[in-house]
Amino acid sequence: MFDWQFAALLLSNGILIGLMYSLIALGFVLVYKATDAINFAQGEFVMIAGFVVAVAITAYGAPLWLAVLVGLAGMIGFGFGLERVMLRKLIGRPVIAVVMATIGLAAILRGFGPMVWGAGTKSLALPIPEEPIILGPLFIPPIQLLGAAVSLLFLAACSWFFLRSRRGIAMRAVADNQQVAMAMGIDVERYFGLAWAMTGIVSALGGIVWGNLLGVDVQLSLVGLKVFPVVILGGLDSIPGAIVGGLIVGIVENMAAGYIDPYVGGGTKDFAPYVLMIIALMVRPYGIFGKAIIERI
Amino acid sequence: MRATLALLAAAALALGAVAPAAAAEIVIGAQCDRTGPTQTVGTNLCPGFNDYIKLVNMKGGVNGNTIRADEVDNEYKVPPAVESYERYKKEGAVTVSVYGTPQIYALTQKLTEDRIPGTSPGFGKAAAADGTKYPYIFPIAATYWSQAAAAVKYAKDQMGGSMKGKKIAYIFYDNPAGREPFPVLEELQKLEGFEMRTFAVPPPGVEMGAQVLDIAQRYRADFVISHLFGRSPSVAIKELKRVGYPLKKVVGFVWGAAEADVEAAGGYGVAEGYSALQFAGVGEDYPVIKEIKEMYKKEGKPEPKEMKESVYYNRGVFLAAIHVEAIRNALKAKPDGKITGVDAKAGFEKIKNFTLGGLVPPIEITPTDHEGGGLVQVWQVSGGKWVKRTDWFRAYPEVVGKVIKEAK
Amino acid sequence: MIHRESGLLKTSYQADMALYPLPIARWAVAAIAALAFLVVPLLLSDYYLSILNLVSVAIVGALGLNILVGYTGQVSIGHGAFMSVGAYTAANLATRLDAPFWISLPIGGLMAAAVGAVVGIPSLRIKGLYLAIATLAGQLIIEWTINHVTWISGGVQASIEVPRPRLFGMVISTQRQMYFFLLVFVVLAIVGVMNLMRTRVGRAFIAIRDQDIAAEIIGINIFRYKLLAFAISSFYAGVTGVLYTYYLGIANYEQFQITTSIDYLAMIIIGGLGSVLGSVLGAIFVTMLPIFLRITMETFGGLFFSSGAMLNIIPNLRLIVFGLLIIVFLVVEPEGLNRLWRNIRSYFRVWPFAY
Repeated sequence: MFDWQFAALLLSNGILIGLMYSLIALGFVLVYKATDAINFAQGEFVMIAGFVVAVAITAYGAPLWLAVLVGLAGMIGFGFGLERVMLRKLIGRPVIAVVMATIGLAAILRGFGPMVWGAGTKSLALPIPEEPIILGPLFIPPIQLLGAAVSLLFLAACSWFFLRSRRGIAMRAVADNQQVAMAMGIDVERYFGLAWAMTGIVSALGGIVWGNLLGVDVQLSLVGLKVFPVVILGGLDSIPGAIVGGLIVGIVENMAAGYIDPYVGGGTKDFAPYVLMIIALMVRPYGIFGKAIIERI
Repeated sequence: MRATLALLAAAALALGAVAPAAAAEIVIGAQCDRTGPTQTVGTNLCPGFNDYIKLVNMKGGVNGNTIRADEVDNEYKVPPAVESYERYKKEGAVTVSVYGTPQIYALTQKLTEDRIPGTSPGFGKAAAADGTKYPYIFPIAATYWSQAAAAVKYAKDQMGGSMKGKKIAYIFYDNPAGREPFPVLEELQKLEGFEMRTFAVPPPGVEMGAQVLDIAQRYRADFVISHLFGRSPSVAIKELKRVGYPLKKVVGFVWGAAEADVEAAGGYGVAEGYSALQFAGVGEDYPVIKEIKEMYKKEGKPEPKEMKESVYYNRGVFLAAIHVEAIRNALKAKPDGKITGVDAKAGFEKIKNFTLGGLVPPIEITPTDHEGGGLVQVWQVSGGKWVKRTDWFRAYPEVVGKVIKEAK
Repeated sequence: MIHRESGLLKTSYQADMALYPLPIARWAVAAIAALAFLVVPLLLSDYYLSILNLVSVAIVGALGLNILVGYTGQVSIGHGAFMSVGAYTAANLATRLDAPFWISLPIGGLMAAAVGAVVGIPSLRIKGLYLAIATLAGQLIIEWTINHVTWISGGVQASIEVPRPRLFGMVISTQRQMYFFLLVFVVLAIVGVMNLMRTRVGRAFIAIRDQDIAAEIIGINIFRYKLLAFAISSFYAGVTGVLYTYYLGIANYEQFQITTSIDYLAMIIIGGLGSVLGSVLGAIFVTMLPIFLRITMETFGGLFFSSGAMLNIIPNLRLIVFGLLIIVFLVVEPEGLNRLWRNIRSYFRVWPFAY
């Protein structure tokens, strides 16, 4: 007897949470697409953004719109600054160098946050109701709906940006072939900065949404670990891939928790996406939408 | 060359001179993590611990000896815990307050070999309640086994005295500490005839939507027993509320029981009805807390803000107090003040009827029972604050005792 | 002048192929060995010996990781998991079959090597970041398995207490005895890696790191050697896990999680990828950093912050300094402490001349 209601519940929960994962993965993809840099500190970016907004509201009593602006501005500045100070020096170095640099950055942020803003959990109140919206058999928490909406909106904005605007096209050129872009007169370094700033924006949005969902403290950075299955499945440098990857991870997680957990005593939810990821890596390493890299000697 | 040698010699002398010449000073090793996954606990518990020690020293110490509590933060990691333990040994600590389940596991053998008593209140190895098997480990407060029994008893009372055929959901943090209550729960399941399903929340425990949905919509549990730590209790409260599960049918273990958890869940309004077990009192209405406030007032300083998080702060006070009590007992036996770990252990085992002005249940530690009774209270979120629901009680002692005996 | 390299003539192949052909190198190694085996254990107290013991365990682990990441160029974030495989294997053997340590240790290492080879299978098809993430997945899956399969983990607690190792009837339990016990393994590990890199296998590893496609063309079976690299590196990791377990007296999986893997990566990056000395220096550095930081803060921090604030700052500062050091080393000296040491050495090579 298959419980359709429960399956539908799990599915809807999975879709919504998956889109929220995509929001974080988008930050990762933006950076990788434009600068070939792998950001292991994506979760920490979200955490710092959440801290800034939450502290602005609770400690300084700022109204929500002001706090959000401060958060956005702060993260944009942070992105530009980071690129300038640290990442510019690591251009051209092997993969492990950038990976470890972002791991180091993650450690710095994880120590910085609680040191400056205290270790307690801060709540990030948004003017949305706490009670779930009931649509037939489905329970939809408003915050998840908001998160999913933000995610899709950002996807739309990014698509417009990359397809239509001059800056976006320039960034795609930089991502495609740096040398040629430079030869065409595009200031590559400035676009790197812009890419990190865009990551800052999406991290700020992620920080607000996830901060409301989970509360803001140092543990918020752990959502960053979810990024990897999402981007591997979707393709490291593909924006629609981040959305699709997020959906897959969200649905798989929930289905695993609902249907496999009872047989194995729990806990499959966390590593089911990783198993899927390994299979994907063996079969189609570049993800569903990713660009295949052809190696030449 | 000569100048360098002279400089080195001078430096060595200076370093030697800096070493503290502690006359009548007794050292307690206080491991307390203000960072790491349990930082919400540590940032409030550690000040409580330190404040009580300060109070004791201000009142003249114990029989004239000042107590020095060396606080160290291990970030909930094991190698720093081992290193700081070795440091405490070097400083001559007579007791160690261990913080964290993996840490107490790692240090169990060392504490026993070095014969220094270590405490692990409300966490750690539940089997260590058996003082004959673990002579130097002192849980001194309800272990996870006692807590499980108490939670089941509370659930039974809430469901009208009988659990036959009822469905209990046990949601837990998916690590060894979270799984420790299984033996007790399974025994009680047989005894009381209820149906139980377990729902694991994998670390870091910030996402449990599917499990909560399952509990509320598919399994439709009659009662939820929750054993979560860190951030997950508040997330659980929020999620259960979101799927419309009545929080008054939820009881949490001692580490999901604080003001911080309620606040992180969105406030007292959101968490209305949620109950949790405590092994120390909640709130500021206790004589020892008032004394600490007086102490701060005398110094002209405002009372510490950590006091507001009274659940953890009070536990810190209790922890310090029981160490001091053990030392007091040890000094009674050896008035010359030269006590060692062995004396402190004996001191712990002499503790009887220790209530700290009502802050804790009457604790009695004996050479065979290092848990002290395993008593807890249930407090519930009601009308904007934590309200006491039951008195100190201990549940199913025979079942817990049996599980302890059968433990390896 | 001190460091004489010319005028040394060898008369046999053996002398020419020795690990330390220069007399000054031999003297230096002898001095260090004397220091480590004779002087240190007599002079230092238990507390300092305990720190050195932790460092010794870290050295073995760092050497293992360097084989895989530094010499073969395969990024792996799964080191902690391999350590836990070794630890639990040995712990189970010790408690269930009463195996003495000289049986449980190699078997723990071999088990870890086997698991490592399995985790390394994806390296056939993927490399770079993708491989790193695959090893991350391996780490998480192994963690989950140990956490949930009670047959391996010894019960719900996932901790197994092991008895102290016995050698010729003597129980090794004090810090001093542990020090010698661990030092033996450190020496074996160092000599092992140094010799490994001089063999055909080691050269194949380096070839794979530098130009893997060219290596394949000249006939090196890169899949086989990649798996071998994973296996040998995991063997070292397994041994590290076993040593750590015997040192603590307990196998507990919470000691072998992702943070541990990242710590070891930091060790070899700070120390220097692809060098034995780098692994040792990096291990010492990263293990002692928190201790050193704490002492510094305790001595000087009182000038700037109140004691209450300090308690809050010290642990967070440790994270910040750790991350900052990784970045500084990456930006300023990518070849790590090893390169710094080599620079000092080359200066003294021609001293008092400038070149």
